[in-house]
Order: sequence, then C-alpha cells, then structure tokens
Amino acid sequence: MKDRWFLSLFMFLGSIIVLFLTIPLIKLFMSVGITTMGKTILDATVYNSIFLTLRVALYAVLFVCITGIPLAYLIVRSDFFGKSFIESLLDIPVMVPHTAAGIALLVAFSSGYVGDILNFFHLGFIDTTTGVMSAMMFLSAPFLINGAKEGFRKVDEKYEYVARTLGASKIDAFFTIVLPMAKSDIINGALMMWSRALGEFGAVVIIAYHPMVAPVLIYDRFNNFGLKFSAPVAADMIIISVLIFLTIRVVNNRLR
Amino acid sequence: MLKIENLLLKKEDFTLGELSFEVKKNSYFVILGKTGSGKTMLLETVAGLKRNILGKVYLNGIDITTLQPEKRDFGFVYQDFMLFPNMSVGENIKYSSRYKQIKNQKELFVDLIEFLQIKGLLNRDITHLSGGEKQRVALARAIYSKPKLLLLDEPLSAVDPTFKNSIMKLLKGIIKRYDMTIIHVTHNFKEASFLADKIAVMLDGKILQIGRANDVLNRPTSIEVAKFLGFKNIFKGSFFDFKDERRDRYFSVDPNRILFSYKKNDKEFCYECRIDSILDITDHYKVFAKVKNREIFAKITKNMFDKLELEEGKDCLMCIDSKDVEII
Repeated sequence: MKDRWFLSLFMFLGSIIVLFLTIPLIKLFMSVGITTMGKTILDATVYNSIFLTLRVALYAVLFVCITGIPLAYLIVRSDFFGKSFIESLLDIPVMVPHTAAGIALLVAFSSGYVGDILNFFHLGFIDTTTGVMSAMMFLSAPFLINGAKEGFRKVDEKYEYVARTLGASKIDAFFTIVLPMAKSDIINGALMMWSRALGEFGAVVIIAYHPMVAPVLIYDRFNNFGLKFSAPVAADMIIISVLIFLTIRVVNNRLR
Repeated sequence: MLKIENLLLKKEDFTLGELSFEVKKNSYFVILGKTGSGKTMLLETVAGLKRNILGKVYLNGIDITTLQPEKRDFGFVYQDFMLFPNMSVGENIKYSSRYKQIKNQKELFVDLIEFLQIKGLLNRDITHLSGGEKQRVALARAIYSKPKLLLLDEPLSAVDPTFKNSIMKLLKGIIKRYDMTIIHVTHNFKEASFLADKIAVMLDGKILQIGRANDVLNRPTSIEVAKFLGFKNIFKGSFFDFKDERRDRYFSVDPNRILFSYKKNDKEFCYECRIDSILDITDHYKVFAKVKNREIFAKITKNMFDKLELEEGKDCLMCIDSKDVEII
C-alpha cells in the first residue's frame, strides 16, 4: 500500500513537469494550425532563415568535431599540466549569460589579429555567418566535448593496447577501435550541441542581426508584427528541428 | 630469445622491478603471483605498452626497449579478452592483416579455426559468445598475427571451469603447432604446473624465484614463496633442535604426514602437543595443535581420528619423520 502511494506521488510530480514542457509546444501548434505552418514555410525569408540556422549550426558542430574530439581524447587518456584547468574552462560557456558571451566574442574576434585574419580570408565577423557560427559554437561546444569525453572514458584502454600489438599504430587504433566504440556518445553529444546551437539567440543577436537566423527572425517578427506573425515561424522551426533530431537519434540507436 | 635486464617501472605508489630474466625460444614461461603483484604490468611492459621504463628488453639479442608495440610482433591476450565489439568474430581474428603482411593467411586462418574449434562462430556478434568462445577467438586473433612471442594475461580466469582443461591442452599445443614462445601470467598453481616449462614466482613487483616448474613448485627457496605456494607449518631449524648449519634454515612440514599418538613411536621427531581446535571436513579432520608455543596444522583421516579419540584440550605427541620435512 505504501509503495503504491509512493509511486503515485512520484507520478503526480513527474507529470507536472511533463505538462509544463509539452503544453506550450502543443498550444503553439494548435494555435498556428497546419495550414498556416505550411504557408509560412513557403515564405522565402522563413525557409532561408531556417535553412541558414540549420546549416550554420552544422558547421559549428563539424568544427568542434575536428577540434573538440581530439581534445576530449587527450583529456581522457593523458595526464598533462593544466588538465583540470582546461576541463573547468570548457564548462564556463554553459554558465555565462549568452549576451555576455556575445559581447566577449565581439571584443575578441571583431578586431585585432583575429579580426584581421578573418577579414583576410573574407570571412568577416560582425553580421556574417562566421560571427553566427562563433556565437553558436562558443555556447554549445561543451555539449559535444563532454559527450566525447564520456564516450572515450567507456572505452577500456586495453582495446587500444591489443590493437597495437596486432600491428595498428596509435592513430590506426583510434580510428578503427576507439572512435567506433565511442561513436554513440559522440553522436549524442553532437546532437545536443547542434540543437543547443539552433536555439542560440542572445549571443547571435549581439554579433549578427543579419543574416537573420531563425531565433532572430522570430524575435524580429514578434517585435515588429506581433505574435500572429512570429508564432508560425517558431512552430516551423520547432517541427523541423525535432524531426531532424529524432531521425538522427533513431539511426544512432539502430547503429549501436 | 627474450631477455629482460634490470627492468624497473614506477607507477604511482607501485614499483615493478628490478627484474632480470630470460625466456628461451619455444618455451612456455609462466609468471605465477598474487593478484596485484604486477604481473599484467610486466606483460604490458614487455609488449612495449608502458613507457618510461628503466632497464633493457632484448629480443634475439636486439635491444627493443624503445620499439613501438606495433613493431615488436608480440601477441597479447587479456583475461577479459578485449574482443573489438564493433567487429564480427571473423573481423576480429583478421584485424592484424590490415597492418601486417601475414604469410599463408588463408591456410593459417583455416588451420586456426579448426584447431580452436571456432568455425561456427565466425559471423557471430562477439557480445553473444560465452567466456570459453571469447577466449578461443582472442587466442585465434593473437596467433593469426604470427607473433614471435605470445603474452597471455590470466587467460583462463574468465573461462568456465568445465572448459579449462580443454583450453589448457590447446594452449600447450600452440608452441609446437605455430612455432611460438609463450609468457603466461596466472595466480593458479594448477595452470602453472600443467603448462609451464619454467616458472617465475612474482610477489609485490619482484621475481623471487625462477626455475623449472617442478623445482619451483616443490622446492621454494624463500619463506615468501613457500607461503605463497601454500606450504604449511614453516619453522626455523631450531624448532627441531638442529645443532648444525640447519639451525638457521627454514623447514616446512607436510600436514598430511603428521602423526598424533600417546606414546613414542619410530618417527624421528616427537614433541608434546596440546590439541587447540578440530575442524570436521568431508573426508578428513583439520587439527590445530600447540607445539612449543607454535601452532601446527595437520590433516588426519577419519579412521585415525576415531582411533585416537582426539579432543580439543587433550595432550598428546606430534611425530614426524625427517623425510617429511622440506628445506626452504
């Protein structure tokens, strides 16, 4: 009897948070309706903005895959001076207010040597996709790096040892054994980073109001035209993100 | 073939070494020691997987101390097998062919799957294999790479006891069949006695005794090794009232050879004793008695026990012959 009360209490408390998280989304879709969502997605400004957001968030993820995965491996497998400091440093972006992060990025990369290098390659920073990508990356990279760290930690170093006695170099062992075994956690980390990057607004709006990514477009339409014009964009953005997110997760789970 | 010279490795608060020993070609060398005595660390060092070592490792007279593991041609089988879960059984076995030129690959593969009886497993997912099957696949993977030296780290500890004997026979057959040399680490005396040509006893990172299997297992040269090998009743020579050079040496008395009686008999040594405690085991009694303020342990048959009517607290004589006393 006591068990049943305990479970019922937990179910009640859990259902409060489930409702809190789902009601706004359901209400949003119901208030907008499928027809309006369809019409809105056909609007060039909207689909260009959503596609830009998905694309730039993907670039940010790819960049962190190339740079963050090796870092995660080093942190897990090696002992080096300042390792704990770097680990703490990596978690800072998660704690910083997003607008403050935008200001910091602006100060660091819009001028000076880095600014000159970006300008030399015609990448620019303010009001460019480079700036948007930096903002997304700064605030969401820890998700991917921590996911990769988690994945590498689960791979016993002895697998690498065996591979090496079988003739594989350290890099061969990494690509043929360690990476495939940590793949699932890395993909999950990448998904978390990508979805976090898609929703980035605070830092992006400081660096680049244009080109307009979806969160900025939603804000812009809300500010200038009100809820009626911003809600369909928000609904479209959510549905596309969720569909992509679920597809990758299902494929990842199948590959496991 | 393999020569280790003054090998020393420190890892946190554990020190391995200094160790020096040789392993002859086509021999089965067993390193016997307790868990945590540094056996696995030693194998990993020999394989080149541990860096920052002092001392030298020679293979056929060539210094390989700084050679990368992938260049050494040493196979390694861990006690938990470490089969790659992202590959099938067949892919696991053939993994080394991605990086090494292996002569007569096809014939070797066919021979291995027949020898280790793994034909039916080739397309299986490694997660669905039993301990014994994983063991044979791990062995096949290591042998397929044609190593000069095969390093086995407690290879039988995760295998079902019913398969242990058959796998031990397979292990013994590897040397001749594949022209290999094996270093096998274990804490199991039975394995060591069955498999080894030579045994090294390793405790706390140091090798305390090396020799032919029979010699090491029956004639320990130190108290530590004797205790580890399960020798009971270890006493100094003075216990037996030796007056000569044997006085300062140590001796072990076989618990099965101790005779209790109430009057002197033809045994060489007889001492007064008091029975401390008696344990009834299925087919014998374990008797703990006090002799000269030292505890002695004896195993006596149920018949003898009934005849003597031994009881806790009873005084009697404990007698042994000098042939039943092993010098350590």
